[in-house]
Parts: sequence; structure tokens; C-alpha cells
Amino acid sequence: MNEEVNPLPSLEQDQTSEQTIEEIVASLGDTVGQPRVDDPKMSVSNVDVFYGKKQAIFGVDLDIANNEVVSMIGPSGCGKSTLLRCLNRMNDTIPICRVSGELTLDGEDIYSKDTDPVLLRARVGMVFQKPNPFPKSIYENVAYGPRLHGLNRNKADLDDIVVNSLKKAGIYNEVKNRLDESGTSLSGGQQQRLCIARTIACSPEVILMDEPCSALDPIATAKIEELIDELRENYAIAIVTHSMQQAARVSQRTAYFHLGKLVEVGDTDTIFTNPRHELTENYITGRFG
Amino acid sequence: MNAQEELNTTEVVRGSLKRRYAREKRFRLFGLAAITASLTFLAVLLITITARGLPAFKQTFIQLEVTLDSKTLGVGENPDTNELRRANYNGAIKKSLTTLFPDVKKRKDKKALYKLVSKGGQYDLQKRVMADPSLVGETLKVWLPVGDDTNSYIQGNIDSSLPEKKRRFKDNQILWVDQLTEDKQIQRRFNSTFFERGDSREPEMAGIKGSLFGSMLTLMVTLLLSFPVAVATAIYLEEFAPKNRWTDLIEVNINNLAAVPSIVFGLLGLAIFINFFNLPRSAPIVGGLVLSLMTLPTIIISARAALKSVPPSIRDAALGVGASKLQVVFHHVLPLAMPGILTGTIIGMAQALGETAPLLMIGMVAFIVDVPTSLTDPATVLPVQIYQWADLPEKGFVEKTSAAIMVLLAFLIVMNAAAVYLRRKFERKW
Amino acid sequence: MRTFNPEGHTAHAFDVELNDVKHKVMTMGGLVESMVHNGLEALLTMDEVIGLQVTEDDHKANQLELDIDEDCTRILARRQPAASDLRLVITIIKTITDLERIGDEAEKLGRIAVKLSNEPNTPVYYKDLHHLGEHVKVMLRDALDAFTRMDVEAAFHTAAKDEAIDTEYSNFSRLLITHMMENPANVSHALDVSWCARSLERIADHACNICEYVIYLVEGQDIRHSNLDEMRKKLL
Repeated sequence: MNEEVNPLPSLEQDQTSEQTIEEIVASLGDTVGQPRVDDPKMSVSNVDVFYGKKQAIFGVDLDIANNEVVSMIGPSGCGKSTLLRCLNRMNDTIPICRVSGELTLDGEDIYSKDTDPVLLRARVGMVFQKPNPFPKSIYENVAYGPRLHGLNRNKADLDDIVVNSLKKAGIYNEVKNRLDESGTSLSGGQQQRLCIARTIACSPEVILMDEPCSALDPIATAKIEELIDELRENYAIAIVTHSMQQAARVSQRTAYFHLGKLVEVGDTDTIFTNPRHELTENYITGRFG
Repeated sequence: MNAQEELNTTEVVRGSLKRRYAREKRFRLFGLAAITASLTFLAVLLITITARGLPAFKQTFIQLEVTLDSKTLGVGENPDTNELRRANYNGAIKKSLTTLFPDVKKRKDKKALYKLVSKGGQYDLQKRVMADPSLVGETLKVWLPVGDDTNSYIQGNIDSSLPEKKRRFKDNQILWVDQLTEDKQIQRRFNSTFFERGDSREPEMAGIKGSLFGSMLTLMVTLLLSFPVAVATAIYLEEFAPKNRWTDLIEVNINNLAAVPSIVFGLLGLAIFINFFNLPRSAPIVGGLVLSLMTLPTIIISARAALKSVPPSIRDAALGVGASKLQVVFHHVLPLAMPGILTGTIIGMAQALGETAPLLMIGMVAFIVDVPTSLTDPATVLPVQIYQWADLPEKGFVEKTSAAIMVLLAFLIVMNAAAVYLRRKFERKW
Repeated sequence: MRTFNPEGHTAHAFDVELNDVKHKVMTMGGLVESMVHNGLEALLTMDEVIGLQVTEDDHKANQLELDIDEDCTRILARRQPAASDLRLVITIIKTITDLERIGDEAEKLGRIAVKLSNEPNTPVYYKDLHHLGEHVKVMLRDALDAFTRMDVEAAFHTAAKDEAIDTEYSNFSRLLITHMMENPANVSHALDVSWCARSLERIADHACNICEYVIYLVEGQDIRHSNLDEMRKKLL
């Protein structure tokens, strides 16, 4: 979680010694590319996020569509994780964090007074950077969410949910004989897939992933990426990643953030072969800074 | 050129290696010396206490043939309980002693002879007769505890080669005891009195049961009061309270409270619980209240540390599947922090168990013979008992003091072991 | 026009590798250019020595192509280039294929020159190749310049010349047919000349391809098989 949990992500770059962040952001110009899609599941409109007096996100517009993976890339402290955590109001836990602008799920404002963050988080699930299974049994890990929300009527229901979620997360065959073992006894990749199963078990509509593979080896990463591609059939997915290759592999659309500003968004194919903004180009080709 | 430079670097490094290793070795030696020194002190302490205290776990008994005729006891034909309680058991014991040594005629010698048996012997006798009144008129062989000086002599603490005037145990007494030992009428047994009786003015009749029960009752009150309050405080401060000037102030004050001398808590307890609320003096409930005040900051601080050490990823995970703040705390954070909280609690309890000063202020220092059975009974606690006994001159009490310290230490070790065990048992990896 | 970050990649070695391979492409371009020049020269002067020189140079060009291909494969495998870097590598791979073909065509010219130099009397048609050859040489040089400078404007300008050369070629073919009808005895020579003209025309086509690659490299737009003028209006 390192810098992501830090309520004050360091936005300082070398240039800031002369210019304020606001000036630099203003110099970045308008977002390049088309942030809107025809039938958005979630929609972010003109969103600013502040940590105390510091502005972390500057007027971002972005849509997340069904059956699509949107990847958010950019250098550390560019606000991509912050924006992701706004999408299921995980930032509510940080007292100094303030969000303005409009974020909607199926057209409903998720920051309105009528929206319960607990219900929202059941609809918008989240997978974190570090695999974080509860130190409980594998079964309990997956069953926790459904039980919390009362999604099951009886024990048999719950068993079904657990098994189906584990199957969808592609880990069932590996753990079916040891559902009562601790979730923490699994390998890193298995733990992450268990966390995905735990998220799926709440039957969310949107899945947010915050650098889900950064703690995993390449084979586990490949399995998760394959899984993300399968999950796309049923969910809208937004993924924050530091690996550009991963963004290129798993996503259909890519958004590039810089200093809290959405610099460029577009089809992943275009972004990775012919980005239009110079900063995107520099970041993608490894010329950054 | 380059190769030469490299060679030089190697040589320079090699030259400094010796000093580096020497420094490392010296540091290790210092550490070792420090540990050895502290272990030595600990060993000396333990050995002294054990050596002094061990004899107290044994007691010397003398076998007497006591005739319990109603005339000697001074009771009627069919005595009631009251009569039996007040009967002259001491006379019966004295009579059996004179029967044993009929040559003793002089008043002074007789007094010396009577001293062989503890003054507490009569209470043993009283207890037996009251349990079974039909014993009146019978003659029974009983084992009675010997007096303090006799006990010392048998333990070899009195040097018989000293001139008679310089020792408390006189020549004729030695003669009698040696004879009795020869007749196998003197025996050393496990000192159950020590664990079965309350305090007494006679060292051979004094026990720690009263103070042990006092300690347990006090600790129970302390635990029941401080644990829930402290855990609730810690959870609120750590998980729910907004971080502002007020919570900072509270935090500073809690940390300060932990450093306040315990006697101050005693004064506070005296002023508030006893003078203002009129709670009884010397009662475990007041002791428990005062010790709770003292333990609270310790438990709060350790509980907060334990809560803080629960990785944020677990909170995120629970929030991420849609648990509310309260559910996150009670389903995940608290169970994971429990081992740490329990350890802190037990350490706080152990501190409270060893605390003396504040209890002196609320009168738990009184001489109390009876074993307390309720929270409002007058009572004393182990460390105060040790403090009291340490003040008394009799040889027997010196032993008792060490023995009580051993019991206290044993309790502390058991509590700390429990802390370690609980931590191991509930500790979960993530 | 795009500007590229002058600071280069964070991984400096990547810059070195890319520059290295770019440099090799330019070397190859220079070599091929001189081959075309020499081939034409040999043909016009019937010089056997120069003709043989061209044949020899073709081996060098082939070897360079292999080298550059290998370098590109290594860069793809180890650096996973993206965006402009990816386009650069792809462009290089394609460009050297065209350069190698140009080399082959030049070698054909040289071979025919060697063959002619050993024959007693040759007609003067070969002199007529001079005009076409000069056009092709200029176009090739401009294409390579455009590549070196990543100059889209020049690339468009050069690619447009292809049409003129095609016209020149068809005029020349018509002229040859007239010659053949006038003097049927020299048909075999006329056919050789026709082959040479064909080679030159092909060289111009390859140069045109290179220009298109340059446009793709810089603008990220593939303009092959589309109307040049429209694309030019769109991009510039």
C-alpha cells in the first residue's frame, strides 16, 4: 500500500521548485482523447480531490463501461490510486480527503447523502495491491462478504456462493480439499485470487483493482491477467497498474494520469502504438523525467 | 594503474579489518558481561530468597497424648458449642506436657516447657473437638505445632555451643527436645498451615491464605473494571475518534497517567472512594478500584499499540467487501489485536499484583487474621503482607517473608507465562 | 510535428542501442545509394570494374541487413519498446528490407554493365537511361535524408516524385519500343535496357516506401494504399 495509503501522496517533482502544481497542471492542457463511452457503468465528471489543502486530482472526466477493462497508468503520486479509491468511497476513511464533482454508478451519484458507502462497496468491489486475505479459513474469507450482506438464505446457499466464487476466480481446483485451511497459508498468487474470489462473492457490478499484481511473480501475474480477461465478461473493471505492459495486455482502454490530471485516454491499442500527448509518449517509452 | 588502485583498496580494507573485528568482539563482550551481571544478580536474589524461604514450607510438630477430661477443659457434662469454644484447651496441653516430663517442678522451668508447643496448638485442638464433641473425656494422640524457638532449634538455627544466657533456647529445653526427638515424638512435615491460615502474631501459625485471597479479590475487581474500560477507550481513540487537539490532549494525559507515582493513586482512592463515597476501608473493592486507575493507562497504551499494529490491509480488505466501520473493528481488528491486548493486560495485572504503596493509603495494611470472603471484607494483599512480615523480629517471620515472596514470584511467573502462552496461541500470521 | 524528448530514455543503454541501429541503417542507406550510383555509372560507361564493385557491395548490404535485423529482434525482446520506439524499430525492420531490394536492383544494373562491357558493339540506348537514373538517384537520396531527419514534409515531397518517375519510365518504354521496331536486330539489347529501366523504376518505388515508413514513424499513421494528397492535408 505504501504511498497509496499515505494520505498526502508526494506530488513533488523536480519542476515544482519553480512552478506550483496548479500552474503545471494548467500547462498540461485539456485531456486528449475521448473519456466518454456510450453506455457507462460508472462515470466520473469534473472530479477534484483534495487532501487537506493539497489538490490531488484536477477535474478528471472518465467513464467505465461494462465488459471492459480500463487501466489507469502514470508515475507515482499521479492520483490514479486516489481516483480508484474514490470510486467505492474508500477515501471516506481519510478524514482530510475531500471530493468534489460528480461520480455516478448507473447514473446515481455515489457521493449523495442517500448512498450508503457500505452498500456501494458491495456493488463496487475492490482488490488491493498486497494480497490481504483475512487470517481465517479460505471458506470464511469468501463467505464473509455474503454473510455480512445477508446474500444467502441458508448454509447450502452460502456453500454455493463460496464454491462458485472460487471457481470464477480460477482457484477452486487448487483449494477444494482444504477450504478450512487458513487463507494466509496460500502462495501470494493464490492469495490474490482468493481476494478476487472474496470480492466476487459479494456479486459486485464493478471491480476495482489497485495494482493487483505488484507483489506477485510473473506466472501468478499471468494467471491473474488471464482471470481479469475472463471477468470482463461479467463486470466492469478498472485497474491501476505500474506495469505498462500489463495495462497493454489486459485493458481495452487506457488512461494516463500526470500530477493528478488525466492527460490522455483512449483505446489501449492507440495509446501504446501512437499516443498523442507528449507526456504519454515519454512515459510509455520510458523517457520520463 | 587501475589494477594497482584495486590492490591498494584491498590492502586498505584488509588493514582496517582487524580493528573492525576487534571492535565487534569488544561490543559482544560488553553485551555478554552485562547479561552475565544481571543474571548473577537475579540468581543471587533467587537463591537467597529460596534459601531463606524454603524452611518455611516445613513445620515441626510434636506428638502429645492429650486427655480431654471435662474438668481440665472446664466444661460441663454435656457442653454446648459456646462452652466448647471457650474451653481451656491450653490447660489440657500443659497437663499432657507435665505428664510427659513429671520431673519439671519449678515455675520457671514449667514455663519453658510449655513454650515447646505453639500457642496456636490450642486452636487446632479446639477445632477438632468442636468438630466432634464426643472427644471430650477421651485421651488422644495429637500432633501439635511446636513453638517458634523450638522450630528454630530443630532447623539448626540455634547454636547449642553458645553460653546459655546468650541464646533464646535454654539448656533444659534442648534436653527435652532431644529426648522427644529420640522417642520419635517430634516430626517435620509439609507446612500446610502456611497456605491454610491467615495472618497471626505467632510465626508458626501465620499463613498467607488471607493475603492471597485478598490479592485475588482485588485483582478480580481490577481486571473486571480496567479491561473493558481500557479496551473500549483504546478502540475509540484508535479507530473512531477524530484526530484533533482534544484527542491529542487525552492521549498526552493517558501517557502521563502511566508515569504518575502509584502512591498518588492511593491518595486519590482515599480521598474519593473512602472519604467521599464512604466505601469501607481495607476492602478489596477499594483496592481494586485504585489499582484499576493505575492499570488503565498501561492497558490502554498496550491495547492501542496492538490495534495500531494490525496491518491496514486487513481494514481495507474488510471495508472493501462492504463491512461497516464497527464490523471492521469487531470482526477483524480486535481479534487480531487481542493477543497484544491480553499481553498488555496481564502485564498490567502483574504490576497491580505487586503494588503496595497505594494500598497502604487505603488501609489494606491492617493486621487481618480472617480470610476475606467478599469484596467488602477487610483484607490485605500479598505484597503488603510481605511488607508487614519483613518488619517483625521473630526468626519465623523472616522465613515466612521469603516464602511469601516466593509465592508472589511464582504468581508473577505464572501470569507472565500465561501472557506468552496466550500470545502464541492467538497470534496469527498475515 | 512531434518533438521528442531530448533527454532520452531513463535507461541510457536503450538510447545507445537505438542510436546504434539507426546509425547502421544510415550506413546501409549510404552503401545502397552508392551502389545505385555506381550501377548507373557502370552502365553508362560500360565499365566492368565498377560493375563488379557493385556486385561485391551487394554482399555487404545483405550482411548489414542481417545485422540490423538481429539488433532489432534483440531490442524487441529485451526492451519491449512502445509507442515511438516501437514504431522506430518496426520502421527500421521494414526500411532495411526495402534497402536490401534496392541493393539487389543496383546489383542487376552492375551485372548487365559487366555483361555489356564484354560485348563488341553496343547501341547507344543505354545513354538514354541517364535521365531516368538521375531522377531515381535524387529521389533515393531525398528519401534517405527524410529518414535521417525524420522529416515528414520532405517525405511527402519525395513520395510525390514517384508519379513523375513512373511517367518517365513509361515514356522511356515507349521510346524503346520505337527503337525495337526500327532496328529489330538490337532487340536483345533493347530488352536489357528495358530491364535496367525497370530496376530503376523499382528503386524509386522502394524509396517511396521508405518515405511512407518515415511518415508512419513520425505521425503514427499508416499512409500506404491511400491518397497521398489527402493524407498530407490531414497530417500537415
